[in-house]
Amino acid sequence: MPRKRNRKEQMLAAAQYPLDWLEERSGLIGGVRYFLFRKVPGDSGWWHTLGSATLTAFLVQLGTGVILAMYYQPDPNSAYESVQHITNDVTLGWLVRGMHRWGASIFIILMFFHMARVFLFGAYKYPRELNWIVGALLLPTALLEGFSGYLLPYDQTAYWATVVGININGTAPFLGPFLASFLRGGAEIGPDTLARFYSLHMLLLPGAILGLIGLHLYLVVRLGVSSPPWSEEAAGRERDEPPPVPGTGLVNPAPRGVTKRPD
Amino acid sequence: MTSRRLEERRIAFQRYKDDVKREGKPFYPYAMFHDTVMSLVVVSVIVGLAFVWHYTDLLGPSLAAKADPGTTSFVPRPDWYFYFLFYLLRIFKWPNSVILGTVGIPTILLIVLIAMPFIDLRAERRLLRRPIAIVAAVLVALSMGVLTYKGATAKEPLGAELRAAVPGWVKQEKLPSNAVPGANLFATSGCLNCHTYLGSGGSQLGAPNLSAEGAKNKGITFQISHLKCPSCVNKGSPMPSFADFGEANLRKLATFLEASKGPK
Ligand code: HEM
Repeated sequence: MPRKRNRKEQMLAAAQYPLDWLEERSGLIGGVRYFLFRKVPGDSGWWHTLGSATLTAFLVQLGTGVILAMYYQPDPNSAYESVQHITNDVTLGWLVRGMHRWGASIFIILMFFHMARVFLFGAYKYPRELNWIVGALLLPTALLEGFSGYLLPYDQTAYWATVVGININGTAPFLGPFLASFLRGGAEIGPDTLARFYSLHMLLLPGAILGLIGLHLYLVVRLGVSSPPWSEEAAGRERDEPPPVPGTGLVNPAPRGVTKRPD
Repeated sequence: MTSRRLEERRIAFQRYKDDVKREGKPFYPYAMFHDTVMSLVVVSVIVGLAFVWHYTDLLGPSLAAKADPGTTSFVPRPDWYFYFLFYLLRIFKWPNSVILGTVGIPTILLIVLIAMPFIDLRAERRLLRRPIAIVAAVLVALSMGVLTYKGATAKEPLGAELRAAVPGWVKQEKLPSNAVPGANLFATSGCLNCHTYLGSGGSQLGAPNLSAEGAKNKGITFQISHLKCPSCVNKGSPMPSFADFGEANLRKLATFLEASKGPK
């Protein structure tokens, strides 16, 4: 006859039940467990936080951007006033707008720092080439996101910087003039331009960034983060002897850290 | 057949995976702790900047005046992280090379960036044994830093900014429409590095103000031959030759100059 379970065990079982239910139907719990408890090199430290810090900055942009979009009006006659309204009237609107404005700068800075860390650690080398490329595509996409957002307040700075920016696009050979008139939505900057930039800034570019980040993180988890190049730990350490090559007749030596057992 | 190098890499990566599995630490809680602290710092800095922007003037105004397509005196500035690209435009001004600054160099940089893993094929990751990579990284960081700084502190207008002044010239000088292409060329071709025109420009090497050049009625033919060889016409003139512009462009410039009879 089963022992009568005490309260604590009952509660644990009750808490476990929905998790088990989800796991049985989706495998998601196992996925999260894999993500959380996967091993990373023992001496990975602060340098490795730059990537997730960039991600955090991007999430701040998503959150504040959604709120701004609830009040912003992408129309040359009311865009400026709607931004004024957000800044002056909406509760904490100034905070949300300020975070979005300066979060963009922090996002870009962190991305450059993260890229510098990856470069200096040589972490773009085999087998992480593809992840570097995904990152190298994220960089211009994020810069374009900044460019398209700059027009939206529709003040003098925004307007003239965009005029010049579009003209610069226009100087490119072949595609340039086409691109410039596509961005303008006609021969002059006007209502179509603003709507276009708004759509790019809200849908296309953030969507592209999200997709690329997803791919980026998938590859990070799949390949594991590299250990620092100066690593004293075994993982990733450069060894003085060349790695053994099969087929040369050498026997693979025992891996580092595994010594013969006493018995 | 796999090459020896490929085989070595694969073995090294396999060894890395074995090592991490055996001696690594779990992402949670160790790495996650670092990440969380860092993320909190990031969010605090962002919130802090929003506060500073709202309560002080240190970070500039919250909004400039409402956009007015009619003004031309406004100096356009992109957000600061484009300054390094923006400043490149100062370096390349001639019509033939400005494209290097606007698309050429950025495109090349982007291609090199994407191709990085295929340019540097060695397995070596220790910094001190990658002198070329270090030097390249330092040079790139330095030049981007310097260009950003210069872009941030630049006072004189850039070619692209001067171009935005052209509609104002048309109004003030009552320029006929056939003079506008020349005005655009004039604004973006570096003439204003030395000359001045209605308050724009560098005033260097003693170059004269050209706002009323046309009032001298020297004629288009004279202007063209002067542009082709300034020192032939004015002995000792330090002005460089613009013969490379080609006959058609020189004619546009000359038309603009002759139409410039001074502000009305
Ligand atoms: C939206 C921008 C980006 C986000 C959110 C992001 C996020 C991350 C995260 C969370 C990691 C793992 C932890 C770490 O190494 O920091 C990572 C690794 C990596 N990132 Fe990024 N990243 C971004 C942009 C870039 C860029 C611009 C590049 C390079 C051009 C890049 C190249 C890499 C590489 C090669 C790794 C693997 C590093 C290793 O295994 O040691 N990333 N990224």
